[in-house]
Amino acid sequence: MTFVRSWLTPKKIPAVVAGIFGVVVLVVILANSDQTQAIALGLGGGALIAAIALSITLNYQGSGVVNFAAGAVAMYGGYVYYGLRVNGQLFLPPIPNPLALVEGVVHLAGDKAFSLPHIPVFITLAHPGTGTAAYGTVIQQPAMAVWAAMLISLVVLALLGLAFHFLIFRPLRRAPVLAKVVASVGLFIVMQAVIVLRFTSSAKSVSPILPSSPLHLPRGVRVPEDQTLLVLIVIAVTAGLWALFRFSRFGLATRAASENEKGALVLGYSPDMLAGVNWVASTVLAGFFGILAAPINQSIDPITITLLIVPALAAALLARFSSFVVTTATGLALGMATSWIQLISNKSWFPKASGQALPGLTDALPFLVIIIVLAVRGKSLPTRGSIETVKLPFAPRARAAVPTTLALGIAAMVLLFFVTPVWRLSIVNSLVGMIICLSLVVLTGYVGQISLMQMALAGIGGFTLSKVADAHHIPFPFGPLLGALAAVVIGLLAGVPALRVRGVNLAVVTFAAAVTIQNLIFANPAWSGLKGASVKAPSLFGFHFGPNDPWTKPFSGGRGLLPNPWFGVFCALVVMVLVLVVVNLRRSRIGRHMLAVRANERAAAAAGVSVAGTKILAFGVAAFIAGLGGALSGYRFGSVTSLYFGAIPSMIFLAYAYLGGISSVSGAMVGGFIVAGGISTTIMTNWLHISDQYTLLLAGIGLIFMAIQNPKGVAGALRDGVHLVRRRMGRATPGHGLSSPDDVSPGPLQSATAEAGA
Amino acid sequence: MAVLSTQGLGVAFGAKKAVNDFSLEVGEGQLVGLIGPNGAGKTTTIDAITGFVPATGAVTFDGTDISSFSSTQRARAGLGRTWQSSELFDDLTVMENLQVAAERIDVKGFLRDLVRPRNDDLSEMEAILDSLELTGAAGVLPTDLSHGQRKLVGVARALAARPKVLCMDEPAAGLDTEESQALGRRIRSLVDGGLSVLLIDHDMGLVLTICDYLYVLDFGQLIAEGTPAQIRADKRVITAYLGDRHGESEAEANGMPEASTSNLQEGEG
Repeated sequence: MTFVRSWLTPKKIPAVVAGIFGVVVLVVILANSDQTQAIALGLGGGALIAAIALSITLNYQGSGVVNFAAGAVAMYGGYVYYGLRVNGQLFLPPIPNPLALVEGVVHLAGDKAFSLPHIPVFITLAHPGTGTAAYGTVIQQPAMAVWAAMLISLVVLALLGLAFHFLIFRPLRRAPVLAKVVASVGLFIVMQAVIVLRFTSSAKSVSPILPSSPLHLPRGVRVPEDQTLLVLIVIAVTAGLWALFRFSRFGLATRAASENEKGALVLGYSPDMLAGVNWVASTVLAGFFGILAAPINQSIDPITITLLIVPALAAALLARFSSFVVTTATGLALGMATSWIQLISNKSWFPKASGQALPGLTDALPFLVIIIVLAVRGKSLPTRGSIETVKLPFAPRARAAVPTTLALGIAAMVLLFFVTPVWRLSIVNSLVGMIICLSLVVLTGYVGQISLMQMALAGIGGFTLSKVADAHHIPFPFGPLLGALAAVVIGLLAGVPALRVRGVNLAVVTFAAAVTIQNLIFANPAWSGLKGASVKAPSLFGFHFGPNDPWTKPFSGGRGLLPNPWFGVFCALVVMVLVLVVVNLRRSRIGRHMLAVRANERAAAAAGVSVAGTKILAFGVAAFIAGLGGALSGYRFGSVTSLYFGAIPSMIFLAYAYLGGISSVSGAMVGGFIVAGGISTTIMTNWLHISDQYTLLLAGIGLIFMAIQNPKGVAGALRDGVHLVRRRMGRATPGHGLSSPDDVSPGPLQSATAEAGA
Repeated sequence: MAVLSTQGLGVAFGAKKAVNDFSLEVGEGQLVGLIGPNGAGKTTTIDAITGFVPATGAVTFDGTDISSFSSTQRARAGLGRTWQSSELFDDLTVMENLQVAAERIDVKGFLRDLVRPRNDDLSEMEAILDSLELTGAAGVLPTDLSHGQRKLVGVARALAARPKVLCMDEPAAGLDTEESQALGRRIRSLVDGGLSVLLIDHDMGLVLTICDYLYVLDFGQLIAEGTPAQIRADKRVITAYLGDRHGESEAEANGMPEASTSNLQEGEG
């Protein structure tokens, strides 16, 4: 291994990987033509991956942002074009309508028929015609010509790029990497939510744009013309970008800025302008290929193209977010390899699950590439020489944690017995959500590491519980604990290569891991069944307290409605214990070490803190908590499915936790309050009559807003509010002495200054 | 007997040799100065000794070759350092900054902390803060302190780890003359108390007054070493600082401001 490490210098990696790919491809081509055929059919997908990866690279060069939403941009572009071409309509993202609030209040008052004007959803530019096809069926004609729809789409994409720059990433230019990644995750959620709102989540069939007659190659291999054209276009774009960055002053300035922003200033370009131009270019590029590539699968849906971000990130990472040529080559190779794996999955020797080919291996490939690159390279992305003046949110020590936790916990437990089933369920959902948010507080809040796989780890917890409780009859308290431990093992396997290095790598690795786990385990019919892995209800000493176990009302006798409130009591107890554990963590030595690592890794190392060890410990603790949350969630739903535990739910939970306040335990409480299906959603749907479709959209927008404006989250804002009120009322906050840094009076400080000056 | 020494230390950034074949020795209880114009490789030397840049050659600490140690392992072995720009943990109070450096984590302690965090004995750290006249600052966040106080907290944090050798990177930069003299006295008294120190500073008055022995670097190359008296008289040192090579490299020559040059001469008085 040491030999490999010393020989395999970082600069050689792309060449070596490309070489291995090349040899494999060559061998296969020489072997037989049906495999060559499969590889050729991956060209179009590869071109799209390459284009998304190029878009990521452009963003990174221009503004130091690793844009997790690049795949979503491509998908969005595809839908803009679809709306124009087929319906002649340009859809508008939801714009908040103040009148809706008035409407909601009136509805609440009882007048359900009351209606006020709404902001339009579509702008209609052309009307679809109808024509009569053969056999007399009436078919819809496209409303708009290809070129017109394409042109308008590209203009819309360029405007989007400008909006991203000016509204989101320019305000974040001095922010830490964490805030930038969080904002791009928010963008991902928003774009997906907008498309689902406007077009639903079901796939739409799209007509071809490029000619698709097959080209005949030797040995009977046929390649569709559209795929060949896509590859040619992406190669041309790559060559153009290469030349632009190599020879033009603009490219030189961008490259200079990506290393040190002062370098760009010296060349007479403002780094800000460069970032803006690169945002527009990257958005148009990703969207353009989204439009062109969608017809290869004959349909477009909100997920497929969006998740190509994973192989695209693998390609960009391999190229160190700088070489366009390596990016494109890797993207194409990944596309072809995916197609090849799909072909060989039909072979008899391929791993099988329930007689079907093992799913998810195509997702595992980019994940493996990412892991290997990080493990061998051992160093993070080139760091960008910009001044970070925006800080991560402050992580306060909780005050009076035990009484507060007891009071809130007991209040929740009592409430569970008196509210209607709808509210009872929403309290349970919020309690389970709090656990996942707590795990993110430890990892992201205290140590500054972003995990986009917490819900996948939660799923591992639930999945393991399902297996050990069903198949091995392991009784209640041990099942969830084993589940949590399994989450730790899987989490560490995936996370450790990234935790050794700095930067956004953990976010990249964990997202790839989440997609892999989701498709390899949760969507695997052999392991999870067709409806997900079932989870047996918990019981202790003959007392059954699963959510669907019958229960008798404590005082009045009689059978109560489901869900069983005792399950809620159990969840509340788990939350209370975990809250106190995380509070203690912040107060203890390990918590101080975590915050030291978050604040300054170099200084932490110089103070004798093991930076990697602290991160790994935090990741383990967070995985354990998430695993417990997943076990509870498994009990709650009675099953573990890829719907609730996957990559996108992980992103969404990061949004909730960040919105609540990522760096404090009270923030996790608020985060649990606002999760989908939680207490705030129930308030919205039951009292304000806002459709729960908007929950995600609001979470995404809130996430971006929080990343820019107030990283302390809702809990932090509440804390500040309480302080302000106390100060206004002239009451000094009760003495916390040295232990409450956010409450220090200027007294001792000034005396210290005076002494030092003496 | 040297407690810290380097043998043929070298650091290269690309083609540029930031430090070239540099050997130094810090004896037990000795205060050794490392001086040179800007860009001479002083900070890079400390980075190499404490494991923050990859280096060639060897670093021996307390009789052990620590060249293969990570920066954390070196710190734990008792090789402390301070930073030019303090590099404090801004999210932690001053006292917590010191605690991080003083505390080690083991599995048992970690599990116990999850149930019931221990109240650590802070008296030793309070004594360190007192000795640096930071008594009132224990519960304050570093961002609320003055520049000079932040530098002192940096020193206090390094001392809290109970190092055997302390490498100090310009502890007096940004302090006024009075503050820097007071700091010099404190460093001297630490050394008299048994600590060994490798000190980088631009304040020639300070360095020449308090150090036992000096190394002078220029362009990563050792150009002189000796006692303060020997260094004052050394022709090459004066040339390096006065810089009779304006046309060659303006930035380097400008690195040493007038004030420091005059300090160098002042020291003779």
